[in-house]
Amino acid sequence: MASLTRRRTTLVGWSFILPNFIGFAALTLVPVVAALALSFMEWDSYSSPEWVGLANFERMWNNATFWVALTNTCYYALGHIPLTLVAALGLAMLLNRPLRGVGLFRTALFFPYVTSLVAVAVVWNMLFSPDLGPVNQFLRAVGVDHPPGWTTSSDWSMPAVILTSVWRDMGYYMVLYLAGLQTIPAELYEAAKVDGAGRWARFRHITLPSLRPTTFFVVIMLTISSFKVFDLVQVMTEGGPGRSTLVLSQLIFREGITQGRFGYSSAISMVLFVIVLLVTLIQFRLQQRSER
Amino acid sequence: MRSLTVASALLLVTAACGGGGDEPAKTADGKDVLTIAVWAYDQTPEFKALFDAFEAENPTIDIQPVDLLAGDDYAEKVTTMLAGGDKTDVLTMKNVTDYARYGTRGQLADLTDVVDGLPRESYRGLDAFDLDGTYYALPYRQDFWVLYYNKKLVGDADLSNLTWDEYAALAKSLTKGEGAEKVYGAYHHVWRSVVQAIAASQNGGDQLGGDYSWMADQYATTLDLEKAGAIMPWSTANSQKVSYDSQFSTGKAAMLPMGAWYSARLIADKAAGKHDTDWGVAPMPQPAKGAGVKTFGSPTAFAVNKNARNAEAARAFVEFASGEKGATAVAKIGIYPSFTNDAVLAAYAGVAGMPNDETAKKAFAPDEIMLEMPVSETSSDVDAILKEEHELIMAGEKPVPDGITEMGDRVKNEVG
Amino acid sequence: MTALLETPPAVRTTAKPPGHRGGTAGRILGYALLIVLSLLVMIPFAWMVSSSLKQNNEVFTVPIQWIPAEFRWDNFSVIWDRIPLWTYLGNSMLLSVSVTALQVLTGSFAAYGFAKIRFPGRDALFLAYIATIAVPWQAYMVPQYIIMQKLGLVDTHLSLILLQAFGAFGVFLMRQYYLTIPDELSEAARLDGLSEYGIWARVILPLSKPALASLALLTFVNTWNDYMGPFIYLTSNDLWTVQIGLRAFVGLYDAEYAMIMTGSVISVVPILVVFLLGQRYFVQGIATSGLK
Repeated sequence: MASLTRRRTTLVGWSFILPNFIGFAALTLVPVVAALALSFMEWDSYSSPEWVGLANFERMWNNATFWVALTNTCYYALGHIPLTLVAALGLAMLLNRPLRGVGLFRTALFFPYVTSLVAVAVVWNMLFSPDLGPVNQFLRAVGVDHPPGWTTSSDWSMPAVILTSVWRDMGYYMVLYLAGLQTIPAELYEAAKVDGAGRWARFRHITLPSLRPTTFFVVIMLTISSFKVFDLVQVMTEGGPGRSTLVLSQLIFREGITQGRFGYSSAISMVLFVIVLLVTLIQFRLQQRSER
Repeated sequence: MRSLTVASALLLVTAACGGGGDEPAKTADGKDVLTIAVWAYDQTPEFKALFDAFEAENPTIDIQPVDLLAGDDYAEKVTTMLAGGDKTDVLTMKNVTDYARYGTRGQLADLTDVVDGLPRESYRGLDAFDLDGTYYALPYRQDFWVLYYNKKLVGDADLSNLTWDEYAALAKSLTKGEGAEKVYGAYHHVWRSVVQAIAASQNGGDQLGGDYSWMADQYATTLDLEKAGAIMPWSTANSQKVSYDSQFSTGKAAMLPMGAWYSARLIADKAAGKHDTDWGVAPMPQPAKGAGVKTFGSPTAFAVNKNARNAEAARAFVEFASGEKGATAVAKIGIYPSFTNDAVLAAYAGVAGMPNDETAKKAFAPDEIMLEMPVSETSSDVDAILKEEHELIMAGEKPVPDGITEMGDRVKNEVG
Repeated sequence: MTALLETPPAVRTTAKPPGHRGGTAGRILGYALLIVLSLLVMIPFAWMVSSSLKQNNEVFTVPIQWIPAEFRWDNFSVIWDRIPLWTYLGNSMLLSVSVTALQVLTGSFAAYGFAKIRFPGRDALFLAYIATIAVPWQAYMVPQYIIMQKLGLVDTHLSLILLQAFGAFGVFLMRQYYLTIPDELSEAARLDGLSEYGIWARVILPLSKPALASLALLTFVNTWNDYMGPFIYLTSNDLWTVQIGLRAFVGLYDAEYAMIMTGSVISVVPILVVFLLGQRYFVQGIATSGLK
């Protein structure tokens, strides 16, 4: 009886998932698995793939550029994830109130996400311009004698890219947080107020815990998009100067499409895949623990 | 999971075995359809010129362009299409490096027998398509670098026989003004070729070789110009995505080393009233006088898809386009063809708005055109390294000797 | 059962803005801050608009020319003659609407299976969903293209619809939102004899309007702005979307950036309309009317 119910539940569960899963499995899962399988092969996109075992990974291990790109990608992720998270949550809190014209403000803050990347690259590069850019003029005004060279210097190009990407993505994640904020029951706040909880206490003990599923989603999506970052870097610095902003996706593109080493580029993708999987698993565990 | 892996591996194998065998398609009025993959068809008049000329000669063939759009993604699209077994008859080869990859993978039809029958001495850039004795494409267009100048800004200076030292002195003397009013003596675009390919073609350097000391002089010249304020700083031009057109055609730079393709653009925009620059072309400056005009360039070509539906017409088209008739058709719209003879050159010089003074004639008939980047298995790997180190040198992050040593070390260690 | 559905459970009334403090001065300051922030964020967009009114050789200049020397309003009329923009806009709209509808429908349906039904293998399957997002598209686009080619779908709109409608994004987003809906609600409905499908349609779905709205919005924007997908899959000119149509202005060695910016400005308009319409679902209180 119990097993019958369980089988029934399983069937019902699958019936919900199936309509999406069919399309997903055929057109995303299969090619992704194929790509991962390719990391053990050599393939030029045309001839039959050839099994090479771990050769691609060995090549990767010994390739200095891979390590540069991996380090850069982690650097980017470590800057981009927390900053975007905080900015998006802040904006959502700010714009989740009955203000006049709140719709316009929300739209304005979503604008960066729909602005052409070329425009973003040109304007931010101008803002970061070492001599005449407003950013450095401001820094000089507040007493920084030798402000950084930003996108024209190897040391500062990554921070410049991170700041630009936070600016671009915060409106996107704000939308997700706005939806999340709608789920918090008003009674919780009312009760807390009665108990004399201040603003900060209410934020810490009500808002943040209630937003946990949203934050889980945002953190994982941010992690994934950080490790996969491509377009913005490509347009803003093309990975330069030198290799200072070269990220893994650019390397994957270069090795795969440009050089025709699809097996090797799959091996690099595999690294991305494993990193994101680990982060997700850790998040998953943390979330399950906090639910208990 | 395992069965999925096996299934997908099988899928890749079967996909690789897919092939042609289809009959050529026909139009409603019985013409044979010939499909040709091109980029930005509407903005690139040479394609229409070639297709019209070919159709006029071959009334039973109807050319249908397949517009793949240009940009950096052209190779991505062609690679994916071919992987999927696409049957488009003719493919346009944007550059020689991509060509080499499609050719060695066996995705293009062998055209060696056609090449054997050609008058080789009339072609520029043909050798670039030689892959171990086999040709898979024929060039129809050959872009090489010249020196553009603004007649009003340059005045009566003689540009027909400049050395780099004279060029630098001239650029410095032509620099005027400050801030937004500043007129630079020259504009050097951010591409690595502007330093490295010029040096390779004039100092006999090998860009794949691993020893790059021959670049030193050209870097010194360029950095000196930048230091003197005679050219826009590389970092500014690079980060602001400055376009060479906006510098030259608005009179912000007096001279501009650039590819011959720019002439067609200047002529068209002037005719449309977008600028009124009185411009001319001169030969590229040289390291020393009297050694002839050496410059670099790259050919553009058509190839026949191995899976072509209409292979016969495709071969006929490729041969036509690269030959005298095709050359005349593109020369007439201001594109420098790969095939040249007196008649073709006359057609090119006769384009309305094309400079045709003695200096220009000399510029358009260089003694030697070296391939912008040699073709080899390692070309794109080396290209990436040279670009990265070029950026570091130009951004002032590395002194020239260090950058050059680093290039050599990286090419030796990372490529191969 | 009806009784349950008619009285919205008290828990679901949403929060009044936390920290609702009066003070005209404070309010004005708040508004001023928001207006400045909104304007700052829109600087790159301003560059886009300004470039769309320029002549080509005035777009990329140093220093940036914010006000065109001569306003070329005719860019906005010329572009319609140069490319079939109406066709492109129509195609973009068709793709975005179909993808969004399918994504929202199948995503929210599958999410119920993941969030509210416990069955063996559920979490592993969910992890597989997330994991595929982690693999960069460059790595698996060739295998995916080959599958599409085998299905005979290359150069059809259907290929892109199928590709983008069944992604993991929607499933993940909706699952996270459903987790915030108390299980007591579905338990009660279950006791009232509602089937799982009934609970999804009549209890959960109406409650998740904010999440559905944000999913729809983000999917719409992403599909509308997608460039690589349509570029790889669509070859016939009459199937092109706006984003690829604009690439027609890129030549072998140069590009007409004024026209590209003109087209980009035009293509942002539909997104703004959708955003302004969609964002009202995040306004306080809408969620309370969820149960009808």
